[in-house]
Order: sequence, then structure tokens, then C-alpha cells
Amino acid sequence: MSTSSEHPALRPRRQPLFSRRYTLELRQQLAWPWQALILALALAFGLAICAAILIGAGVPAENLLDEFVVLTVLDPQNLKAVLFQAAPMIMVGLAGCMAFRARFWNLGLEGQMIWGGIGATAVSLLDVGPQALRLPLMLLVAMLCGMLWTLAPVLLKLRLKVNEIISTLMLNYIAANFLLHLLYGSWKDPRDNFPYSPPYRAFERLPDLFDGLNAAIVLALVVTLFTLWFVGISRAGLYLRFVDANPRVATAVGVPVRKMILTTVLLSGALAGIAGFMVTAGQEGRLTQSFYQGYGFSGILIAFLARNNPVAATVVALLVAMLFVTGRSLQVFYQVPFSMVQLIQAILVICVASSDFFIRHRLRRVQSSEQGSAA
Amino acid sequence: MELIANWLGNAPDFAVPFALAALGLILTERSGVLALGAEGLMLVGALAGIGAQMHFGTPLVSLCMAMLAASVVSLLFALMVIVLRINQVIAGLALVFFCQGLTGLLGTLLEWTNHPVSGLNAVHLWPLSELPLVGKLFVQNPMVYLTGLIFLGVVAFLQRTQAGLRLRAVGENPQAADAAGISVLGYRLAAIVAGAALIGLAGGYISVLSTKMWIADMTGGRGWIAVSLVIFARWSPWKALGGAVLFGCIEALIPQLAATGVRLPQYFVLMTPYAVTLLVMIWVAMGKRESGSQPGALGEPFIREERR
Amino acid sequence: MNPQHALQLTGIHKSFDGFKALTDAHFTACWGEVHALLGENGAGKSSLMNIAAGLYAPESGALLIDDNPVRLNGPRDASRYRIGMVHQHFKLVRPFTVAQNILLGLPADATAGSYRKRLKNLEAQIAAKAAELGFAINPQQLVETLSVAEQQRVEILKVLMAGARILILDEPTAVLTDQEAERLLATVQTFARQGAAVVLVTHKMADVKRYADRVTVMRGGRTVDTLAPQDVSVEQLVRLTVGESAPASQHPAAAPGAERLVVRGLRSTGQGPLQGVDLTLHAGQIYGIAGVGGNGQSELANALMGLPQPTEGEIHLHGFGDLRGASSEARRQLGIAAIPADRYGTALAGSLSVAENFAIGQIHSGRYGPFAFLRSKRVQADAAAAVEAFDVQGVRSLQQKAALLSGGNAQKLVIAREFSREPQLVLVHSPSRGLDVRATQAVHARLRAARDAGAAVLVISEDLDEVLALADRIGVMNSGRIVAQFDYPADRQAIGRAMVSHD
Repeated sequence: MSTSSEHPALRPRRQPLFSRRYTLELRQQLAWPWQALILALALAFGLAICAAILIGAGVPAENLLDEFVVLTVLDPQNLKAVLFQAAPMIMVGLAGCMAFRARFWNLGLEGQMIWGGIGATAVSLLDVGPQALRLPLMLLVAMLCGMLWTLAPVLLKLRLKVNEIISTLMLNYIAANFLLHLLYGSWKDPRDNFPYSPPYRAFERLPDLFDGLNAAIVLALVVTLFTLWFVGISRAGLYLRFVDANPRVATAVGVPVRKMILTTVLLSGALAGIAGFMVTAGQEGRLTQSFYQGYGFSGILIAFLARNNPVAATVVALLVAMLFVTGRSLQVFYQVPFSMVQLIQAILVICVASSDFFIRHRLRRVQSSEQGSAA
Repeated sequence: MELIANWLGNAPDFAVPFALAALGLILTERSGVLALGAEGLMLVGALAGIGAQMHFGTPLVSLCMAMLAASVVSLLFALMVIVLRINQVIAGLALVFFCQGLTGLLGTLLEWTNHPVSGLNAVHLWPLSELPLVGKLFVQNPMVYLTGLIFLGVVAFLQRTQAGLRLRAVGENPQAADAAGISVLGYRLAAIVAGAALIGLAGGYISVLSTKMWIADMTGGRGWIAVSLVIFARWSPWKALGGAVLFGCIEALIPQLAATGVRLPQYFVLMTPYAVTLLVMIWVAMGKRESGSQPGALGEPFIREERR
Repeated sequence: MNPQHALQLTGIHKSFDGFKALTDAHFTACWGEVHALLGENGAGKSSLMNIAAGLYAPESGALLIDDNPVRLNGPRDASRYRIGMVHQHFKLVRPFTVAQNILLGLPADATAGSYRKRLKNLEAQIAAKAAELGFAINPQQLVETLSVAEQQRVEILKVLMAGARILILDEPTAVLTDQEAERLLATVQTFARQGAAVVLVTHKMADVKRYADRVTVMRGGRTVDTLAPQDVSVEQLVRLTVGESAPASQHPAAAPGAERLVVRGLRSTGQGPLQGVDLTLHAGQIYGIAGVGGNGQSELANALMGLPQPTEGEIHLHGFGDLRGASSEARRQLGIAAIPADRYGTALAGSLSVAENFAIGQIHSGRYGPFAFLRSKRVQADAAAAVEAFDVQGVRSLQQKAALLSGGNAQKLVIAREFSREPQLVLVHSPSRGLDVRATQAVHARLRAARDAGAAVLVISEDLDEVLALADRIGVMNSGRIVAQFDYPADRQAIGRAMVSHD
């Protein structure tokens, strides 16, 4: 009616639930500590379910805590593996954060990683550039390849409104097949005829900097700082916040919306490309056929849990890396398949997404005898 | 021309999962719920089907178990989307990954992986099956014929019953439906579960009747292709069937070409369904004058307008 | 006990979030009459009828049907008491046929036979009922292919076939041509003659005079009077509706300065609401556009403010050229301040902070730093100064979300942002919608100050009081054109007549 210019959030809305005695009300704002509490409860609930599943899968209950916390953090060997694993995780997490800030569902992180790996491997196989510049060159090419693999989806979305979920996913499958084509074809290692590329030369691998700390994690932290600058300090960050909050208002107040979306999504692809570079030049030392698996959803999970904040994403990525490393050891010691990791991630996403409901709504009992007003 | 006969004979086998999954998606999306979880529900159906087949040995029972399992899992999705009003895109994605993880885990733990099972014998539709060239088209397992009947049934439901009318109203204009006294949330729940049953059936078909075994992640993106098929078909069941036939033909072509000894880069050939899907999406986007027959309220959670 | 009273509302009070929409409102409709409910936008007539239809619950007051007090818990209760309301925004499923839409509303009846049979029977019933009421409708036609007038008839049929005996029509002729309106009102009259009670919510005097048996006038949320339209002149009705001529507010009759903006022949491309608007804005002058809502004001505002709106014609800014070619940043450079009607849809991002919403105004100019970093200290300082200067209240912290501001303060924030550079041209649409008296006065003071500093100001408002209080020159917008112009001091009655006339 004529007074509906009030912002919807200011009017408590009543929503019907299944039972008639309670109605839902939209909350205006919930203080930070309460939000954190609800989030923590949701995570705890999710973790409890995961623990139950793990026990059901044959991991003895006493060993659970050991495996997950003690061994991963306290054992120096494992810690190194975690940090090594964390680097590409941080990259895909940041890639997810960037894309989601522009309201772009970049589900093609794996495809972009693949191309990053392909680009880096191409530099290696073609022996391009002097030794000293080889690694930076590989990095650059990986970024470029990842970026280019997002170009089509973002342009299609901006120009033709093609749904980016489908386009990026389809490109994933195409990239994966192309990878197999290369690895079973011209890039197959001639020495043992396995579907992986010939190994990188020593100077083409990310070096350990000191005492087992690999350059990969340092690179990841540098990129985190860049991302933090981009979304937190630079003008682009403010622009992006407007694009994310309300694209109509953004256009009306003069934010260059299309440019922002294009730039941010390309950056997202570049970051995923770097992740591919990190895995091939870091952990694997060559291009393999499944180096990218699991990173796609992890990226989305990290961005979602971190609410697109770069620093939080780094922390969450670290935790996910711990999950991955633990997952592998569970696989080895207790024969729990690696898909357990994927299941745990999905459960956590569902729990956190559900907690949002409790943050945004409040249950209220309706006294049917009185005629209340909207206050 | 042996090639063409074989190709035609195999195409329906590949088309059926696309068709059933698309139909299930249409049912759900016609009520206004964006269903991206098809890939996951197909996997659930596939795994349940194999498990049941290994225990009971009757394909009929196995397919029913596939439908049941997918329906049960879809209740989780319904919870997320209807009660908790989570963003339907996130809920769909989470469901896919949940199902991928769950089926991968259970498949290995229960040791159902790589266990071949018996399928169903083909039924010859005599005398059509004696025709030259197209004869093999009429030698299919009974599920293929059943799919046609299922299509007829769902179309009849949507177009010719009051319940179907109400379902479509819920998807087009939930406010109008609500004002008319229709339970929007109830119909959406029913649509999610029923749609999931069909998607589970598609998955069960792949594992029990087509491939005749379970391998992790065996649907290979078919659920996503079904999602885009529905958009391509503008939410019309018969157009979706046409699209499914198209993709079935494409997929059936792949082994036939290999068999002829034509030297095609294998992995490029495998890319075809995905590339075609992408092209189809672009084509649909370019040709859009109106928004087609997208259900008016697709993807929007239902919120009753300010009352008091 | 007067069994003639079909519907009675007494002592109704209703507020929306602090804004008092209805104060001690009352209304009575009898069986067999067409009773008009007359008033301007915001007078409260729609709110009152929404209460009768069960959509809103009043804070106090009573609702009686056939002199029995009832309580409605929702629209379905109202339907059970045979009250049917046809709203301004139709609740029809567009891709369905007429019959299918009507079938939706009917209860599921297992005994009625198969769906197809039921539909066929219904189609026959629809045709019969329509013929009874004097119009033809094809029950198998898709609703989306029907004209607006025909869609409205479907809504009426829907309500009638659900058994309504008390029919409420909310601004039914707003979307109709004159001919269609005549037919509708004639139909509705027939229905009343058959014994039903019809309530016609409207602001059109002519309709009231021609078709209503009685008229109740509302103004400012209160019921003013109830009388028989045959006994009064249109002038008297206008006076009751818009009130006595308000005393003139402080108005230094400033001589208008140079031409700033010229609009010539602005019309919507295709079939749009704008039908050729001509107006000229001068420096140091407030030009007010009065008119009943829905006559093209929003489209005019959008076109002038640079929001997407397909138009042909000329919008010429002196010293620049066609305003439509100007980007958002160019507009700011030119000193154009735009304050749109839909605060949270086009001016403020509710989930972002007050400081951010303020800062985005000047950010392109580089005042808050280069691209590489934001001078947040300067942002905070500027924002704090603006909040202070423009009296934006309820800001506990500059970091709080803009959505938490009340309507008036949100409006002040928008003004603070737009006025942060001395504006040369101010475009305002519905500046005091949803604002209380104090906030309105503050906003008006700002607009006058801008005018006094030499800006050209355009105020588009559906609130005649506001236009009269502010404007040096008034244009009345009707059917997509400026149909009359008045200089200060303007004759309220003449304006009122121009607003409601139909030529």
C-alpha cells in the first residue's frame, strides 16, 4: 500500500510455518556474539554428525581426536604436509571469495586449475625462458590460462545472461577431458608410459624456503595480502560491496558494474590457475590426471564459510587442508574412502547454511485471541 | 549401415536417463523450486539400485528402491529449501556434493563397487523389430517403453488434473495460489519428492540396466546436462523428451564411431555432450524474446505478503 | 438493528510502523447500493478496505456484517462472509485460461467429476454469469492475452463466483480507458441493483457523481463525511477531499533565473505512460508537479534522473546537451542531485553502512583517495559532518547498516549525499513519502535552501499539500502530460480539478 516505501527489513514479517501456533519473524539485526554462537553451534552439530559417520565407517572413537587434531598439528611431518596442502586451498578459497563478491557462481574452479597446470607444464615441456625466470614464467602463464578459462562464462553472463553455473561446470568437464587427452597422448611420460607428464626439472619446482616451509605457502600468503588489499582497501572493494548488495543501486550511484564483474571474475580464474600451478609445481612435480580433484567444492566451501572475507578464507583453508591430510591418513590406516572428506564438507556447508535461518528469524508464539498490530 | 542400425538401437538406452531426470526436474521446477541437485539424486538412485539388485536380484524392486532412496534424500533438500529457506542454488550445490560424498563412501564401505549385476532382457516389439535399419529401435528393455508411459502420465497429471493445475499455479504465481487457498509449501514439498523419485529412477536405470554396475561418480555430469535440458526445453515435457533423444543419440554415437575404427581423438569425442550443452545454453540465451515458459516464480522462496 | 447495513466499520485505528494510517475511521455500506469511498492517495481508503477484506488487522475498532460483529483472520474468512475484493494488482496466473484461474479459487470437490468435466461446466457457468452482468468473455482465453480491462472482469467474476455479495473494488478505473470504465461501472451498478453491496474506492469525482448512490470522503486517515453525491457539486466534493485552502507558507516570491533544463515532447517509446511532457526549469525556482499517482510521474522521474527508461523527445540541459547521454559521474560533475522515490531500491544499499552509502557519492571524484586506497579517515569525517549538518538521526555508529535508519533519516542521508556538492539542478520524487511531519519539514527546508542558493529544483509529488507548500510554479500531470500550469499563489481548487479531469 502507500506506506510500503519502508524498507522491508524494518517491518517484522510473519511467515507461516507448518504448525499454526508459531510464526516466524524476520530479525532486524543480531549482535555479533550471538551470530558467532549460532554459527559455532551449527558447526559443532555438523562435526558431531561427521564423527558419528566416521565411527560408523570403522574409525575407533578414541582415535578420532588423535587423528584430526593431535597428529595434524603436533606432528612436524604432518604439519608440513598440511601447510603444503593449504597453499592451493587458500588460492581456490580466495578465488571463490572473489567471484562470489561479484555475485558470480564460479563453479569452474577445477577447470581453471587444470588449465593453470597445463599452462605451467607447457612452459616446462617447451623449455621456455632462462632458468632463473622459469618459475615466475610458469606462474604467469598459469594465471593467464586460468583467467582465459573464465572469460567465456563471464562474457556470456554479461552479454547474454547465460547461467554461469552450467557454463562453468560444463567447462570443467571439457577441461578434464582435454587434460586426459594430453596426458594419454602427446604429453605422456615416455619413460614409464603412465598417464602423467614428464617430471619438472628441479628448478621448475617450488623450493622449500627454510626448515621445510615451502615457497607455495609464502606465495599463498602474498596473494592473500593482495586480495585483502583489493577487496578491503582499494576503491574496487567499495564498488564490489555495492554490486553484491544491490546491483540496481550500484548502477544508479555510478559504480562501473560490468567492469567490476569482469575484472573480479577474471581475477578469480587467475587465482584458480595459480592453485593449479602450486599443485603441479609443488606437491606433484608434474601434471597428473587427478591433481585437481576435490578443490572445486573446497573452494566454494571455504568462500561460503568465510563469508567471502580473505583473512577468514585463509584460516578456513588451513582447516580444510587439515581435513584433507587427515582424510588421506584415514584412507591409509582405516580404509575410509576419500569421499568421506567430500561428505564432511557438504555436511558442514549444510549446517552453516541452516544456521543462517536461525540468525535471520525468530520464533514467536501467536496468541490467537488477540489482534496484534505489526509492531 | 550396420552402424546406423546399431546406433539407433543403442540411442534409446542412453536417452532414457536424460528423459527421466529432465521430467523429474520439470515436475519440481514447475512448482517454482529450482532443483540443481539432480546430479546428486541420480547418484543416490544409482547406488540404491545396485545395492537392491545385489540383494534381491529383481530389477523391478531395485528400480523402486532407487526411487525411494532418492525421494528420502530429497527430503533433506526440501528441509533446506522450504523450511529453512536457504538460497536454492546453494542448497542444490550442497545436495550434489553431499550425495557424491555419501554414495562414494557407502559404495566403498558396502563393497558394492564394480560388482556386475544382471540387467533386464530386451523385449522385441514384433513385427516392428523386423524392419530393416530401424528394427533395432524396437528391441529395447522394458524400461524404455515404460518411460514413454511415464511421460504420458506426468503430462496428463500436469495438464489434465486439478492437482496439476494447482501445482502449476504455485510455480507461476504463488501469491495468487495462496490467495486461492492452495498450500504453496505443501505442493512444493510434494513436487520435490515426486521429482526426486523420477531422478532416482534415472540413476537406477543407468546403474542397474545400462552399465550394470556401480562405479563412484558414474553419472558423469548427466544430472547437470538434464538441468540444462530443462531450460532448453522451456519446461515442456515433450520438448525435454526431444532433447533427451538428441543427447541419447550423441552419446550412442561415441562407441559406434570408435567401433568403425575411425580415428577420432577419444577425449574430444567424450567432450561432446558437455560442449553441446554449452552451445545449447548459448543458443537458448540468444534466441530469447520473452522469457519462454519459465515458471514465473522459479527460484524464489515463498513469502506471504505483509498481513498484519 | 438495521438489516440494511451490509458492511460496517467503526472506530478503526491502524498504524504501520509508527505511521498512523487510520484514525477513528468509520464506514457503512448498505445492501443494494453503490457506495463510493473517496479520497486522495494516502487518505487511508485502501487500508480501510484491506481491513474489511481480511488482509490487515486493525489495532482497535469493530467490523460488522449484517450488524453482527465479526473478526477476520485472513482473506479466506472474508470470503466465507461473502466479502470479495478486487485489488489494484490482480492475482491472476497469466499463462492460465480464464476458467482455470477461476477454478483455482474453488474448493476441491471430489464429487464434481473429472477435471475436464468440471472445467467444461465451469466454462458454461462463467459465460452465463458474464452475460448476466452484461459483458462477454471467452472462458478459454489465456489471461495474458486479455486486455487489462478484461483481466479485471476475470477478477470480478472470480470473486462473484466464489459467492461474494459484498464487492469491494479498489481504484478499478485507474487502469481503464473511459469507455471501459463506463462499462465496468454500469456492470457494477447492475450488480448492486440485484441486491449486493458494492464499495467503490476511488479518487475520481466524475465516477462518484455518475454511479454512486452515496459517497464517504476520507482525508488524512479520517472519515470526513458521508453524503449523497446528487446533493453536492463537484466543487464541494473537491473541497472535502483536498481540504480547505491551506494558509500560504513562507514564500519569498523570487524572480526565476535563467533556464536550466528544458523538456520538450517527452514521450515513452512504444505504448508508454508518457504522452508528451513539456516543462522548463529555471534557476532559483522550485517547480512542483502535482497529480494523482499513476499518470506518468514515475516514468518522468526515471527519465530525468538517468534511470533506465525508454523515451523519445528532448531533455536539454543548458550548457551540456541531452541529459540522457550523461553517465552517473558526469551528472555529479554537472551538479545534478537526484533523490528518487524508492530509497532502498535505487538510492541506498540497505546492507551497507551509513558511511559507505555516503562515500559512494564522491568516490569517483577522487576525494576519498586514488583507486589504490580509500582515505577512510576522510570518509568518516565527511560522513560525520554530513550526518550532523543534515540532522540524520538514529545513527549510533557510522558503520551501522543503512537499512536500520527510519524512512525520514534515510531520506536525509540521501539528501546529504546528493547535496555534498552545491547542486545546480535538484530532481526529487516523492520526497516525504513515509516521513513524519518533522522530517518532512527538514527536507522541505533543504529544498528551499537549495533554491535560494540558485539551483533549479523539480519536485514530483502525489501529496498536493507538499507541492503547494514548496512550489513557485506548479504543473499538473494527468494522463502522461502536463495539462495545466499555475504560478504561486495557486488556486487549490483549480489544481484539484485539473488533477481529476478527463478530456
